[in-house]
Amino acid sequence: MSPVQLFLEYSIVGIASGGIYALIALGIIVIYKSSRTFNFAMGEMMMLSAYFFYAAAVTFALGPVLGVIVALICSIVIALVIERVAIRPMLGRPFISVVMVTFGVGSIIRGVVGMVWGPSDLQIPAILSRSPVMLGDIFVPGKTARGFAIAVVIVVALIAYLRYSRAGVALRATAASAITAYSMGINVRNVIAFAWVIAAVTGCISGILMANINSLTPHLGLVALNVLAVVILGGMGSISGVLVAGFIIGWLEAITGLFLPTGFREITPYILALIILLVRPNGLFGSKEVERI
Amino acid sequence: MLEIRNLEVVYQGVIQALADLSVTIPEGAIVALLGANGAGKTTTLKAISGFLPLEGGRITSGSIRIGGQDIAKLAPHQIVRRGVFHVREGRHIFGDMTVEENLIAATFAQRHKRSRKDAFDEVYSYFPILSTRRNQQAGYLSGGEQQMLAIGRALVADPSMILLDEPSLGLAPLIVNEIFEIISRINREKKVSILLVEQNAVIALKYASYGYVVESGRTVLEGTSQELNSNEDIQKFYLGVDAAEAA
Repeated sequence: MSPVQLFLEYSIVGIASGGIYALIALGIIVIYKSSRTFNFAMGEMMMLSAYFFYAAAVTFALGPVLGVIVALICSIVIALVIERVAIRPMLGRPFISVVMVTFGVGSIIRGVVGMVWGPSDLQIPAILSRSPVMLGDIFVPGKTARGFAIAVVIVVALIAYLRYSRAGVALRATAASAITAYSMGINVRNVIAFAWVIAAVTGCISGILMANINSLTPHLGLVALNVLAVVILGGMGSISGVLVAGFIIGWLEAITGLFLPTGFREITPYILALIILLVRPNGLFGSKEVERI
Repeated sequence: MLEIRNLEVVYQGVIQALADLSVTIPEGAIVALLGANGAGKTTTLKAISGFLPLEGGRITSGSIRIGGQDIAKLAPHQIVRRGVFHVREGRHIFGDMTVEENLIAATFAQRHKRSRKDAFDEVYSYFPILSTRRNQQAGYLSGGEQQMLAIGRALVADPSMILLDEPSLGLAPLIVNEIFEIISRINREKKVSILLVEQNAVIALKYASYGYVVESGRTVLEGTSQELNSNEDIQKFYLGVDAAEAA
């Protein structure tokens, strides 16, 4: 294989994994916009959703399609419980306190999953076909390619929904100012709950996709930490920035893996996050508030 | 009709913002609240619209009634859906949304189902300039246009009362006159009552039929606009007329 072809292949695989990053990042950003809460439990929510899928599809033998639906419903219920029990009482508290609560929620989920399903890898039914996709001469692993397609379709659909729907306007109004949103008759608490539902959906889909591409373990959610870089690169406030940012981070990770020892691949997102924070704290797409007095 | 009786408001448990405030806004009237900075005018509006708990404030005694019903315990979004729309000081338009998206946001405040087109057409009939700017980012509107948008959002909700906080703030006199003419038209044509907080007492008393003077959280003086206009203290402290000169 020629070096150019190798480079292209790594690039495409990298960008493809970036699609799932974008999906996870979207869940984090929507919650952040609704209530300035950074949800560090996102990875664990993903992981738990994948276990829900396993339980429904394998343990209760409902098959993959019903499995996805059951997992989605359970994930939404759990997200609403987290929001109601752990997050809502913290409204108005300092940012760091709320962040610590989300960390705590994440640990609880990890603990419970460990107790229920144990620490070892589980095999989940393949929903993504293994047969590779050929782009000209370039070989793309089947699961990665299909996972990418599903993730991007959902991300684009959600971006469009939040851009053009009335609910999207309510979310953006709440993000701009909770008090002003209230004065428009927007029930801000419902908006926050709605954001958690969206995060549950993106977390559930990305969790099941990740479990399909890799395998199902309690560590599945660690990938959400890489997504931190996506969120920072896209700009915390920018919903549409996540897609491009996801591609860039995924691509950089893959390219680092091509040229440097594997260890570097792991730290690439963090180094990048650090550089962005130093050079462009608002990210690529996060803009300063437009304001005129 | 909105009735405030002996309202007392405390911030953070210790700072008394209102001590004993009583105000009545009859159906269809324009009523002005006059007073110095920090007298408690804006706090009064926030108490009505339910914003106090969001800013660490609390009603410790007194009552606020709309048509006889106490609203002091309601959340802000419930109060606005009862027809009382608060246009806050500083306009607070959503700067990174378009003009039309700002109006869409206000549809959540509607009491009665109304088509978006009807509601927006009405806004554009009062403020034609907003129609030409409908797809522009609201943050780039001029100050006067932003004030128009802030009032336009209230119109979308089709309220029975608008709480209007400092609409003239930072605007050129010509624009202020234009905006007040439109406010007065909205009041007449749509029978919307207006509680007006305004530093510019001259213009406030020109458009209001009745006024209250607030000092240190108390209503200390009230009367029709003619009465207040001819009151010597009002002339001296709020209208900038020297008593000797007036005489």
